[in-house]
Amino acid sequence: MAKISFHHGDGSTDVLEVEPGTSVMRAAVTNGVSGIVGECGGQAMCATCHVYVRQEYLDALPPVGDDEDEMLDCTVDERTDRSRLGCQVKVGDGLEAIEVDVPESQV
Amino acid sequence: MSIAAEARPVPTADWVTIEDLYRNPFPIYQKMRAEAPVHWVPAVNRYMVTSFEACHIIEQDQEIYSANETGSLMKRAMGHSMLRKDDPEHDVERKSYGGVLRPRAIKETWNAIFQENSDKYLAQLKAAGPGADFIWEYAAPYAAENLRRIIGFENATQEDLQRWSQTMIDGTGNYADDPEVWAKAEKSSAEVDAAIDEMLPRLRQHPNATLLSGLADMKIPLESIRANLKMTIGGGLNEPRDVLGVAVWALLSNPDQLAQVLAQPARFTDVFDEAIRWVAPIGMYPRQVTRDTVLEGMALPEGARLGVVLGAANRDPKQFEDPETFNINREKKPHLAFGGGIHYCAGAWVAKASVAAIALPQVFDQLPNLRLDPEHPAVDAGWVFRGMVKFPVLWDQK
Repeated sequence: MAKISFHHGDGSTDVLEVEPGTSVMRAAVTNGVSGIVGECGGQAMCATCHVYVRQEYLDALPPVGDDEDEMLDCTVDERTDRSRLGCQVKVGDGLEAIEVDVPESQV
Repeated sequence: MSIAAEARPVPTADWVTIEDLYRNPFPIYQKMRAEAPVHWVPAVNRYMVTSFEACHIIEQDQEIYSANETGSLMKRAMGHSMLRKDDPEHDVERKSYGGVLRPRAIKETWNAIFQENSDKYLAQLKAAGPGADFIWEYAAPYAAENLRRIIGFENATQEDLQRWSQTMIDGTGNYADDPEVWAKAEKSSAEVDAAIDEMLPRLRQHPNATLLSGLADMKIPLESIRANLKMTIGGGLNEPRDVLGVAVWALLSNPDQLAQVLAQPARFTDVFDEAIRWVAPIGMYPRQVTRDTVLEGMALPEGARLGVVLGAANRDPKQFEDPETFNINREKKPHLAFGGGIHYCAGAWVAKASVAAIALPQVFDQLPNLRLDPEHPAVDAGWVFRGMVKFPVLWDQK
């Protein structure tokens, strides 16, 4: 199992243990983590699963793809160097844990 | 104990009629939602799902809630498009649309064309003069011409696209099995096939940024290309037209909100979002249950045909405060107007760009004191598809 921590603006944190291969978006949506919408079901189409990945995990991630890059320009909260789409970040396979900050708004 | 035994039985709503739904479905949805999230509705010959929660569950689970409906009228009217397929078959066809409808292409290619079209049809509306119909002089030709250019039908007119769209959509909703409706839908379907067949070799020779050009070299069966483009004609014309009409009508009916937007044009994005929440242009779409299941506490048998009523989900008081009111200042929350999950509207960014960023600001900028015509009231209608069917407007001529 892999561990995903969602840090919210109010100081609370949701910690999930999920199967390897699960995306950050899917984990959040199936477990009712607030602040992650994932409208398009994971095809990098809607920009509503925006997360800020904590610095120490960034290097372990695959590079931002073309579609993801395009969508990150359409997020409601500002894009930063830590911005990723939760649907494009999967845990497992060298990424046994990840921590993300959940933006204030997705829509 | 079977799962069904733990669930509540589904109530029957035999009081619902298609005529009432067409005129104004919202009081009906209010009554249904208050009673149960799912009803069997004999008039529609479907289970209608009206709660936000249940519609959301369906959209996220294509294994239990299949898009590949048996006896689908849409398949008959338009062929078997990706909208009636599940993954993995759906995914291949969805990817065949590539980046044509995505933000980068919109910025590089389509925005300039949308602007050109808005200029053209706004001039047409102005020439028709105060009292002209906002939908038929502006919103419809604008949406149709945008779509014609995006698809790449150099061999058709925007009027052709409007006719194709309406007649095939009428076929999709032909529950009464009217032979005349089928005849018109079949004629349009054949015209679209001929237009595609003519364009594909031309675009292989001279590729461009259009959808047809992108599809010309894909290893996708012609049958699928045809069906997907018919779905796109149906879904890419009436919906931006209707959200544009409803958004303008809602603002003209709420002068305080209109004043707010005119002072802060960036808020046309909020107008767009609230307009599609308030009146989802696609009010209902079908799904079929693949095995006995329980949906938000309601037992559904294998094979059950569902109507996922987005028009009702978007006014669920459990999701939205004071949901019946058009209010651009409401708390931002996800709505289901674009659908959700793998079938999330492929044209969502095109709609936002053409309607929220270009048409709405320009309409209010160029038609001073735009207002409703008290002598000729606007008419909104429909439930599977809903929008303005009649919308005369007045403005001050310079």
